[in-house]
Amino acid sequence: MTSTTTIASLEDVGLHIGNTVILREAKLTLEPGEKVGLLGPNGSGKTTLLRMLATLLAPTSGSGMVLGAELGTPEVYEIRNQIVMVGHLPGLYPELTLGENTELVARLSGHPPEIAAGALAQVGLGRASERRADQSSKGMLRRAELARALILEPTLLLLDEAHAGLDAEAIGLVDALADRVVTAGGSVVLVSHEPGRLTVDRSVQIVDGTVERVS
Amino acid sequence: MSFWRQVFEIARKDLLVESRTAEVALMTAPFGAAALILIPLAIGTDAPLLSQLGPGLYWVVVLLFGMLVILRKSAVDGQPQRDLVRLLGIDPAATFAGATIATSLLVLFFEIALGPVLIALYNPELGSWPWLFVILPLVAAGMGMLGTIASGVTTSIGTRTSLTPLLIVPLSLPLLLGATQALEGLRLGRSIVPWLILLVSVDLALAVSGVLAARPLEEAVT
Amino acid sequence: MTTLRSRWLEILAIGVIGVSVLRSMTVEADVVQGDVQRIMYVHVPSAWLAFLAFGVTVFGSVAWLRTRDRRWDRLAASSAEIGVVFTGLAIAAGMIWARPVWGQFWTWEPRLVTTALLFFIYLGYLALRRAVIDPEQRARRSAIMGIVAFIQIPIVYESVNWWRSLHQTSSRSSIDTPLRITLLLGVVAFTFVYAVLLRRRLELARLEEELETRRFESSQDVAGAAITPPSLASVEQHD
Repeated sequence: MTSTTTIASLEDVGLHIGNTVILREAKLTLEPGEKVGLLGPNGSGKTTLLRMLATLLAPTSGSGMVLGAELGTPEVYEIRNQIVMVGHLPGLYPELTLGENTELVARLSGHPPEIAAGALAQVGLGRASERRADQSSKGMLRRAELARALILEPTLLLLDEAHAGLDAEAIGLVDALADRVVTAGGSVVLVSHEPGRLTVDRSVQIVDGTVERVS
Repeated sequence: MSFWRQVFEIARKDLLVESRTAEVALMTAPFGAAALILIPLAIGTDAPLLSQLGPGLYWVVVLLFGMLVILRKSAVDGQPQRDLVRLLGIDPAATFAGATIATSLLVLFFEIALGPVLIALYNPELGSWPWLFVILPLVAAGMGMLGTIASGVTTSIGTRTSLTPLLIVPLSLPLLLGATQALEGLRLGRSIVPWLILLVSVDLALAVSGVLAARPLEEAVT
Repeated sequence: MTTLRSRWLEILAIGVIGVSVLRSMTVEADVVQGDVQRIMYVHVPSAWLAFLAFGVTVFGSVAWLRTRDRRWDRLAASSAEIGVVFTGLAIAAGMIWARPVWGQFWTWEPRLVTTALLFFIYLGYLALRRAVIDPEQRARRSAIMGIVAFIQIPIVYESVNWWRSLHQTSSRSSIDTPLRITLLLGVVAFTFVYAVLLRRRLELARLEEELETRRFESSQDVAGAAITPPSLASVEQHD
């Protein structure tokens, strides 16, 4: 998993969806072992930038490489399973239980489904695996998503408002998970609008569609 | 992970979600059955007439009410769920195939559920009925594929519940003709091979279209 | 100012249409059907034009998917609109013709059924275009749907043909020469009409897009600029 090459680099990336400019000439580089905070007010495009780093959006101008794959080309299909994104809406099926959701992740990523139970126990949901996702609290859903990261062991971990709605224990979990990825030579991007919460190597901010360094 | 393993897991997931909502079994199937009861009241309850028209009406109900199977909740993933599946590195063609298999199985279930209602109310002459084991799945597969392609194109559009049927219904004519004529052939003891060939060709054309459309479609629903 | 030079296509089209109309009205009427048969000179060219237009739509869709050049998407959309109008015209003319000749508005003739289905298929296509706001997504989704639909059309036609094979197949085998020339003239005239309409529609589509782009460029706002810091204090003052 460990790689010495750049995890992600965006070169003068522009993106507009419909008539809204979200990014213009944005530059961002993620090196292995880096934990980067992404700041910015509501609606400034933090989530969109995160989805681009996740290869889910291709830039409308400029070019970007993530884990060696050029954005907007079929190369991204090959590296996607090394990325985990925890968005602010839960990536869980509401009708399935937390256990089934986690098992699904294991199955779809080629792991034996049995490892799901262990991952859930690690995030403190060992006794809630029978609970349907739509019957679970926001904090529980977030923990279940972190279980996904435990199973997939990503090289690039993208966390969107990862600390929102979590208790102190769970916040510790997020940090431990992020550290694990970084130690293994991956990178982590944490989105927040509460800069004080983050323990990161450096922070960047989206200002006027570009990515700027925050001192 | 192999392509077919991905297909299997996606189909399994869709059916598992469906088993929780039970939309097809508890809502769409009874609705279709109720339609089969209403029709004779409108066109006349004459027994020979109903026996003759029954199979045709059955297929119209399957096709039109089957739209609700295609539009069901468990066939629609929200953006977070789509992102999840995409980031697990699942081939879009596998997502298409898996979703198609789940929808086709549910359409088949719908067809089978309406069968006894047809037989009880219309008393149709079915001739060599074992052929139904070939005809029903072929139609279900065609509807499943057409439905999955059209649903893909209408993902996250507010008016999708109206737009999807408009896109599907005109294109489903060969399925309707194949199904009705095959049943008619069985009744009259004629060869139904040409109609089976028609159904198979429709299914093949849709399978090729669906697999080819899968990647461009995935990019279209970001 | 539009000069005569820039209108050459329109002028040519009007000329050809004039000749075609004159010819359709003066050519010897059908011995059996009488004057009502003349509606054929509208019906057949309309149907031809519809198929031509939808063919161009598919061509545009494929070209868009290959090049991602917006011009092809505009071509596909513009042509589909014209196609729908002329499919409607072909069906309406056919029904007006059928009523006195066959005693009913509609027969289940394969070409007729397929044409009617085409009408709905492309109405759906246009509805899809209307429902998607983002131009890139609109182009992509409609291109996919357009191509999938087009692949199915021959199967639709063949299936109806098969189903109806017990009835008449083609009723137009005994067309004599003067009639054929008139028909051909009608087809040429309608093709000119298509060219004129397509050129206008493409121009309109291009202008619409330009307007969008200008709006887009003049508002230098990026995402987030629409949201300003709340100013509750000033609200309270007004109270």
